[in-house]
Amino acid sequence: MHIVVCTKQIVDPEIPSGEFKVDFEAKRAVPDQGEPVLNPYDENAIEVALQLKDRDKDIKVTVLTMGGESSQKVLRRALAMGCDEAIWLKDPSFEALDSAGTAAVIAKAIRQAGNVDIVLCGRQAGDWDMGQVGALLAEELQTACIPMAYNIEKKENALFVKRETENGMAVLEAGLPLVANITNSSTNQPRYPSVKGVLMAGRKKIPTFSAGDLSIDAEIPKRVVVEELTLPSYDRQVLFIDGEDGPEKAVNLAAHLIKMNLIK
Amino acid sequence: MPGILVYASIVCDAVSMPTREILGAARGVAAKTGEPVSAALLGSGISSLTQDLIEAGADSVHVCDNEKLWEFHANAYLKVLADIAASVNPRMIIFPGEAAAIELAPRLAHRLKGGLITDCIGFEVREDAVIFTKPVYGSKALARMRVDGPTALVTVRPRTQEPFGPDQNRKGDVVTVETALGDIAPETRTVERVEEEVFECILEEANVVVSGGRGMKDPESFQQLRELATLLNGAMGATRVAVDQGMVPPSCQIGLTGKIVAPEVYFAVGISGASQHIAGMSGSKYIVAINSDPDAPIFSISNVGVVEDYRNVMPTLIDELRKALA
Ligand SMILES: Cc1cc2nc3c(=O)[nH]c(=O)nc-3n(C[C@H](O)[C@H](O)[C@H](O)COP(=O)(O)OP(=O)(O)OC[C@H]3O[C@@H](n4cnc5c(N)ncnc54)[C@H](O)[C@@H]3O)c2cc1C
Repeated sequence: MHIVVCTKQIVDPEIPSGEFKVDFEAKRAVPDQGEPVLNPYDENAIEVALQLKDRDKDIKVTVLTMGGESSQKVLRRALAMGCDEAIWLKDPSFEALDSAGTAAVIAKAIRQAGNVDIVLCGRQAGDWDMGQVGALLAEELQTACIPMAYNIEKKENALFVKRETENGMAVLEAGLPLVANITNSSTNQPRYPSVKGVLMAGRKKIPTFSAGDLSIDAEIPKRVVVEELTLPSYDRQVLFIDGEDGPEKAVNLAAHLIKMNLIK
Repeated sequence: MPGILVYASIVCDAVSMPTREILGAARGVAAKTGEPVSAALLGSGISSLTQDLIEAGADSVHVCDNEKLWEFHANAYLKVLADIAASVNPRMIIFPGEAAAIELAPRLAHRLKGGLITDCIGFEVREDAVIFTKPVYGSKALARMRVDGPTALVTVRPRTQEPFGPDQNRKGDVVTVETALGDIAPETRTVERVEEEVFECILEEANVVVSGGRGMKDPESFQQLRELATLLNGAMGATRVAVDQGMVPPSCQIGLTGKIVAPEVYFAVGISGASQHIAGMSGSKYIVAINSDPDAPIFSISNVGVVEDYRNVMPTLIDELRKALA
């Protein structure tokens, strides 16, 4: 069985609002602030794939990314975590695509790779927060799509997928091929790469694919246009509660909340 | 005349609040453009809800009442929606930011070759296009976006739009949709379903929310938060980290990829105030933060703050409030 995990390198989503910098001209975040990271939800997706592989050594896990020079880093990290192979989609025409364009290119690559049984995506990338590529891939590849998934078990030729629901969970049985969008859960916290993994990953060859390699000759569609990027403002003024120690602050906080008529 | 199509979602046999909100947004756009607003209503045994949708702002309701739609299956729903879109030919399709709709929107966009913008919080009508405001980069920035092409699809963040009416005097057309669903097979089969016990009230509807984050350290310490929530007839929430660490179930997660809440009072305990968390609670009327780090970003969006280890604050706070309520 062959699993492809789609991943993206993003500006560190944990950069606090006060320090976050925007390139208003280019209408995107300043790229070189902090160390770029593997999108956290993609790490959850890699973990779900590797857990399947832990139970069945015949499963091959390929990590795929589309992006410029710096995205090699996410591929190396995924390989170090335990993915078998990497696919790097790299072409000037792949830059600044919207979700539809991204899915169209990735679908081409997956079709070209052939015999892909499961495609996993993180539920959304922490830069543009669009959360569309997984569902669009399901349409492109004509497969079922399970959103909010967090665990997958394989029994014979069927997959049992655990997904979150509004107020609980459900287990879905699905056939192959399948696309699933992975959400965070206490059961899919990404493993750390081992030292051996890092060494092996450093030596692996990563094949790149250009638009030509994927036989993309027409212009990639672009339907969503960013007009402007701005920074939001919050206008709350915090009042700090004083006190000698914790309990005294608690008494003062309680009195304040009661005075403000907030306790009913 | 191009029009606006709104996807109606049903929760507990009623039109959902996020649906009422997007109907409000659609009426806001229609007030400037004069376009008709249609609603798509799909399900089984739901025909009685058409008048509700008209009172909530729809000019017409396209209803497909079919037992094959009793359980949600993307395939069947997409086929009906594509039929409705073909007959309405809308230039804009609005979805509420609820689970099923979020799943349908990208796939319908693909079938219609339209552009989709998710998690919108604002609409601005211009002569040539509607400009949508969408938080990006974990809500640290706001993008103003538009769709190039004949059909714009959007999902809308709950609790960001004012519902319309309801106006009992409104009249509208009801159109029955006869999509043939005989050959549509479900893509997946549900073999098990587990609903969590709801301890207090429903999180999204609570007047008071008491949330904890990584600072809480273990599931036991969340009991204090539950105690305060119960005392104030509220609900308990959490950050993603608290969910990831298994301190609370995923249904407690508040934020960009969790629930969106806007209670009268929000308690943030041991929460740093990452933008992705704030995205789910910044609409709260009054925010109380308890954090041992005076520089925690949560304080900059709070009304009142206590710089302290929560363990030194919570027991006395609960006692004092219990006395006051007695
Ligand atoms: C695409 C994406 C989506 C995301 N969606 C969400 C989401 O929906 N919801 C969400 O919450 N996060 C989300 N996140 C994660 C988010 O970026 C942060 O990682 C997370 O919100 C941090 O949680 P936290 O505040 O509990 O932890 P931390 O940031 O680690 O903060 C813990 C705080 O606890 C304080 N503390 C520690 N000990 C004590 C004590 N004894 N007493 C008092 N205070 C103490 C510390 O000072 C610190 O401020 C998302 C991230 C990405 C990339």
